[in-house]
Amino acid sequence: MILSQYRSHLVKFQSLIALVLLCIGIGLLSDKFFTVDNGWNVMRQISVNICISVGMTLVVLTGGIDLSVGSVLAIGGAIAAGLLKFGIEIPSGNLYIGFTLLGSILGGLVIGSLLGLFNGWTITKFKVPPFVATLAMLTIARGFTMLYTKGFPISNLGDSFAYIGTGWFIGIPVPVWISAVVIVVAIVITQKTALGRYIYAIGGNEHASKLSGINISKVKIIVYGIAGMLAAVGGIIVTSRLDSAQPNAGMSYELDAIAAVVIGGTSLSGGRGTIMGTVLGALIIGVLNNGLVLLNVSPFWQQVVKGGVILLAVIIDKANSKND
Amino acid sequence: MKKAIKYILAIILVLFIASNSIYFKKLSDVKASAAKQFDAAKYARNYLNTQLIPAADKAPQADDLLAILKSSPDTAFKTYSHGLDIGNIRFFMVQGQGTVTAVDENDIYILTKDKQALKIAIEYVFGNALRDAPGLININDFTNTMDLNNIAAEVDKIVRAEVLPPIKSKIKTGDKLTFAGAFELNQEHINLDKIEVIPAILKIDK
Repeated sequence: MILSQYRSHLVKFQSLIALVLLCIGIGLLSDKFFTVDNGWNVMRQISVNICISVGMTLVVLTGGIDLSVGSVLAIGGAIAAGLLKFGIEIPSGNLYIGFTLLGSILGGLVIGSLLGLFNGWTITKFKVPPFVATLAMLTIARGFTMLYTKGFPISNLGDSFAYIGTGWFIGIPVPVWISAVVIVVAIVITQKTALGRYIYAIGGNEHASKLSGINISKVKIIVYGIAGMLAAVGGIIVTSRLDSAQPNAGMSYELDAIAAVVIGGTSLSGGRGTIMGTVLGALIIGVLNNGLVLLNVSPFWQQVVKGGVILLAVIIDKANSKND
Repeated sequence: MKKAIKYILAIILVLFIASNSIYFKKLSDVKASAAKQFDAAKYARNYLNTQLIPAADKAPQADDLLAILKSSPDTAFKTYSHGLDIGNIRFFMVQGQGTVTAVDENDIYILTKDKQALKIAIEYVFGNALRDAPGLININDFTNTMDLNNIAAEVDKIVRAEVLPPIKSKIKTGDKLTFAGAFELNQEHINLDKIEVIPAILKIDK
């Protein structure tokens, strides 16, 4: 009985325990790890992954997957940068529509949301497997980014825009504030709203959810829309940090997001997982990345280690599911 | 009633956000103002005539420069190279004469008086060498890097349009050539065999 309780606690806090052990291990091997600067550095770096991973968690909770987040991130950032820098020209009407900082950010978020909604629509309307639909969007969004930027970075976006990715507010980096807001809103959605309950219900048993009157298509479209919007949030942070919208930004970011979700204990078959778990997963990935760099591990080995950690997380998840 | 209030508040919110998000101007005014801001083509033409060509005239002779690059690269980099950033890629101005040993679609290959082999680009004229090698452009004079990039692109464009065509159609092995231009070298991995001069002046000697 006691053993069973002990095991249950261990499973519940496995991500946290892994994170603490990882921090202690890296801290012992590198004296630069436990410094304030490095702490903020890690937090700033993972803020983008947190935004994407939170959206990915919602998608995975419904039993889906979104492989397009990296490309949507790129186009979200590029649109925001492009609108701010170049606006929209309508030569036939001799009209120039300029965008303020707020307008350009909204523009990026709207595009991200629309692409996400389109993902949801194709998945629900045409019953395209999420893997395939979002894989298609991955290349479509990347192609549109290349077309929009003509393959060149959009740079020099001004100090106000740069503040989003590089500024500090009450002693904390702005990207950390943004990711904190994303986390809180996502927790409220998943824990306190009907939408959150529907998300878990659909992932748990889609057929039963349908029979109980949940509008499956609507919920899925909304969830993919949110994932797209959060990818665009990540894109705006990345663009702001670099002061440049890079056409190839966000490549392979979907893998880090999926890794954070899986390491955080969210079941890839849906219905089980938490936002806080994903945040811990993103922290583990971030700390691992940071630690491997501080320890001068070759980038090639870094990839091997990260892949190994993801594999281990999935194996543990499977074992837990069996025991449940 | 409650619904109506909700809709009204939503419309007010949307209008408020929209009014703070976008603004309208005449496209012609915006273009006129942009044109006033920076004309890279004009700047490049002026730079070529008043700075680059005089700098090319004063550039070290190829034989001297190559000799010092071989014997004392640190001194060569310190004395003769320039660059806008703090990276390892540095740019040198160079001038000289030589005999054409071969010509292909990309380069003219020459041997200098001291029998040093050099190649001069005649097809792919791109990059920042002609902009950065004289060290006369100050990065702080520009508010954005796009303007700087455009200057390099415009200078290269002038070379492609005006310097190369008269030479490309006539040059042949055995010709004597006078040249002045710029090349880049990585100061961490110096490879003199890979030097490719981007010409600003190129003449076949009679």
